[in-house]
Amino acid sequence: MDVFLQQVVNGLTLGSLYAVVALGYTMVYGIIQLINFAHGEVVMFGAMISLSVISAAAGSNLPPLAIILAGVLVAIPACMALGYFLERIAYRPLRRAPRLAPLITAIGMSIVLQQVAMMLWSRNILAFPQILPMVVYELAGASISALQIAIIGICFAMMAGLALLIYRTRLGAAMRATAENPEIARLMGVDVDRVIAATFVIGAGLAAVAGLMVGLYYGLAHYMMGATLGMKAFSAAVLGGIGNIPGAMVGGLLLGLVEALGAGYIGDLTDLCQYGTLSAMLETRCADGGNVVLFGSNYQDVFAFVVLILVLVFRPSGLLGERVADRA
Amino acid sequence: MLAVMDLQVHYGGIAAVKGVSFAVEKGETVALIGANGAGKTSTLKALARLLAGYVTTGSIRLAGEEISTLAPHQLIGKGLALVPEGRGVFARLSVAENLTMGAYSRHDKSEIAADLAHIYDLLPRLKERQRQLAGTLSGGEQQMLALGRALMGRPSLLLLDEPSMGLAPLMVQKVFETIRAVAATGVTILLVEQNAKLALETAGRGYVMESGRITLADSAAGLLADPRVRQAYLGE
Repeated sequence: MDVFLQQVVNGLTLGSLYAVVALGYTMVYGIIQLINFAHGEVVMFGAMISLSVISAAAGSNLPPLAIILAGVLVAIPACMALGYFLERIAYRPLRRAPRLAPLITAIGMSIVLQQVAMMLWSRNILAFPQILPMVVYELAGASISALQIAIIGICFAMMAGLALLIYRTRLGAAMRATAENPEIARLMGVDVDRVIAATFVIGAGLAAVAGLMVGLYYGLAHYMMGATLGMKAFSAAVLGGIGNIPGAMVGGLLLGLVEALGAGYIGDLTDLCQYGTLSAMLETRCADGGNVVLFGSNYQDVFAFVVLILVLVFRPSGLLGERVADRA
Repeated sequence: MLAVMDLQVHYGGIAAVKGVSFAVEKGETVALIGANGAGKTSTLKALARLLAGYVTTGSIRLAGEEISTLAPHQLIGKGLALVPEGRGVFARLSVAENLTMGAYSRHDKSEIAADLAHIYDLLPRLKERQRQLAGTLSGGEQQMLALGRALMGRPSLLLLDEPSMGLAPLMVQKVFETIRAVAATGVTILLVEQNAKLALETAGRGYVMESGRITLADSAAGLLADPRVRQAYLGE
């Protein structure tokens, strides 16, 4: 098995999911300079809602794809409503408040949503019904599952669709104009409140699909799953340059690749037995192909945050970001 | 066309506009001149409903309809467009996109396309640069773009805030030529300017504003001849 190619495949899968979630962070930041920390929880709700629908329908004789489609068709409008609700009741009243106030509110909403999900779906790790047959293809020494192909394909299609929306439609032009100068956008006749609400709703729709795909990919869902995922997607948005749409896509894919390759190689790299002097000292344990590994692939989560720290130290505006943000 | 009664603007405890009343008749160009800080821009912003966070009182009637209670985004639909101080083009949108944003409130696609062609005829520089990002244009070109963008909304009343600001003299001439051309097409214009001479040469009538109040009102020729205006604003 080719470890490199295999980890590239895994990294692309993960990265395209991060990218889709990162878009939700970056669109909202671009338009109202708010980091919507509750966005990860919208992803979690997408996973939980589709899990409930899929579990309920799993016993029926419907084809698996139809069941999954039903799940996502319920999750998308539900998450969109949740995104709208967040903006309307939590952020809009604070539009003119000091920037720290909505930021703290976002963290508060994130906690509220986690607790609501815990009450609705329990504090247990829930198994995502495995109704899809496992189909795996061999590709130049790496294996790629049909699910991975579907995830990558759907994520790229959604990114392309979003790019078309933002750069080719009337609403997209209004979003970009509002992001640049809401006061002037108003003069043009743009109802800025509606454009901001639309931004939240679109981001939440993407998050719903991402939530379902994360659930299917890992086979489980949990009320806290949005926290780590959200922080990683946020890191991806910062890596690409927060507020920058192509940046979030690039940042997400890069972060997924860094994480997968890091997890794939960290075990080998920190195996003390391959370093001459050390392996002599650890003779007994290294004999017969034994190894002493300091860090294993369970350190996967560390990479995203190492990347976040490095970006914040060396290039705070991100890879594609134009201006250094001096705002909270 | 426009009738303003006892307009007041307060920023916190500071009164920027202390009860001004004036009128602009259909088809005329009216200049509002005055020194820095006299309250000219605050007056225009209040007309465009951009001071929502501050206290503004008084009545603003556009073609007989009270507009002081409308949201800012509804005004363009009533025929009122503002070209803001400092131009306010969308730097990260292309020239063509900026112009299209000007027609955001309209839905008559073929008419919009015709107006766009008309703007490009009026301002050929913009046509050459239609794919460029607006932020890459020179100051004068941005002023032209801001003007063209406002015209795309087919306003009946155009508010211009300091169109000469920060421009080279040659460019100022060009901008004002364009303003006169627009006025000749029947658009009513309220022009706020620090360059009093240029403004009064362009307008038919004028108001002089000082410390938040209108202190003089006359025909442009009358104001140009008035010794107080000559001394305070024309440097004589």
